[in-house]
Order: sequence, then C-alpha cells, then structure tokens
Amino acid sequence: MNEQRKDILDMLAEGKITAEEAEQLIAALERDQPPPASSLDARPKGKAKYLRVMVDALENDEPTRVNVRVPLQLLRAGVRLAALIPPQALGKATAELNKSGVPFDLTQLKPEQLEALVEHLDDMTVEVDQADARVRVFCE
Amino acid sequence: MMPQLVTVRVERPDGRPIRIWVPVLPVVLVFSPVVVLAVLAAAVACLVFGVSVVRALGTSWRVISALPGTRVDIEQSRTAVLVTIR
Repeated sequence: MNEQRKDILDMLAEGKITAEEAEQLIAALERDQPPPASSLDARPKGKAKYLRVMVDALENDEPTRVNVRVPLQLLRAGVRLAALIPPQALGKATAELNKSGVPFDLTQLKPEQLEALVEHLDDMTVEVDQADARVRVFCE
Repeated sequence: MMPQLVTVRVERPDGRPIRIWVPVLPVVLVFSPVVVLAVLAAAVACLVFGVSVVRALGTSWRVISALPGTRVDIEQSRTAVLVTIR
C-alpha cells in the first residue's frame, strides 16, 4: 500500500472525510498512477513456472556447464514440507549454524514468510559474472 | 500429477551416450512392497517426532506431484549427465 492511499484511509478512519470522498480520492490516485513500464523483459506477473539456475565456468581449463530447471511448485511444496520439521530439530540446526558462524535463527522463519518469498521469486534475477565463471538465476 | 517418466542421459568421454527411460508407475508397482514399508516407517517416525502423519504424507505427495518439469543438465568437458522428469 502506498503512502498516499494510507493517508486517505487514515483520514477516513479519523472521520475527517466520508467513505464517498475516500473512494473518490483513491480513484483519483489510481488515475494518476503512471502506466507500468514496458520493456522486452517485462512479462505478466504470476506466469513464471520454473526457477532456472545456469552456470558456465572453466574448471581446470575445461568448460563446465550446469543448467537446472526446477518447477516453482516444487519449491512451494518443499516449503510446506519444511514447515513439518519439529521445533527441536530447528533449534539444533540453528545452534549448528551459529557454531559455523552463521547467525541465523531458523525457528523465527515462518512458513508464510517462505511462501511469500517463493511467490515473489519471479521478480528476481541474479547474475554473477567473473572472468572464469558466469552464474544466472532467474524465473521463466 | 505424479511423475510418469524419468529420463537419464549420460555422455561419456568416449562419446557413446547411454539413455535410460524409467517409467515411474510400473517401477513403483514392482517395488510396491518396499514402498509400503517405507511409508509405514515414515509414519512411525512422524509419530515418534510428534508430526501429523496425515499432513506429512499429504505434503510428501505434493512434493512428488510437483516433480514433473524438473531438469538437471550437467556438462563437464566431454562428460555430460541429463536428468529430466516428466
């Protein structure tokens, strides 16, 4: 929710404006919104079905190529499976992570947060370029 | 829908590729006694660790059903492995 819309709803909640006025203001706000930028890379949201990981590297002067395609549905199912892990196991894993120098508390990670993360993966593109390796992670 | 076919293709340095097609349903039927034992063992493990058996089985089925479309392709020098699940 953007700031202006929140202000309008706050004014409505405080009784400064009526519901009709709030509706008119929100409609005016929506009219003023700039159209979404169109580019060659732009695609309709929610259409991505797969997560792709592509690695091109040189190992011992030999070309190595890794191309992995994972359905996003599998990630969602994996998140649900991870939600079944007992809290004791998560506590132990967190302790081991801390020992290894990764201060990450797995018990604070909620399945809903992970699901939201997977939902928004199609907006993500990671590209790493090095002299001897190139890694691309994206959704398609 | 559960996976129907798993294809494995291995290319060795001598250039002769090996292709294996694994029809999942017949293989599961052949190994059904082992599958039943594995499910029972998983159910017991769920009860021991206080996890809902129904939720665990349901979620495992969702993971299996989401597998079609997975593709892993690894090439190094003249060796390559390709695994696809349909």
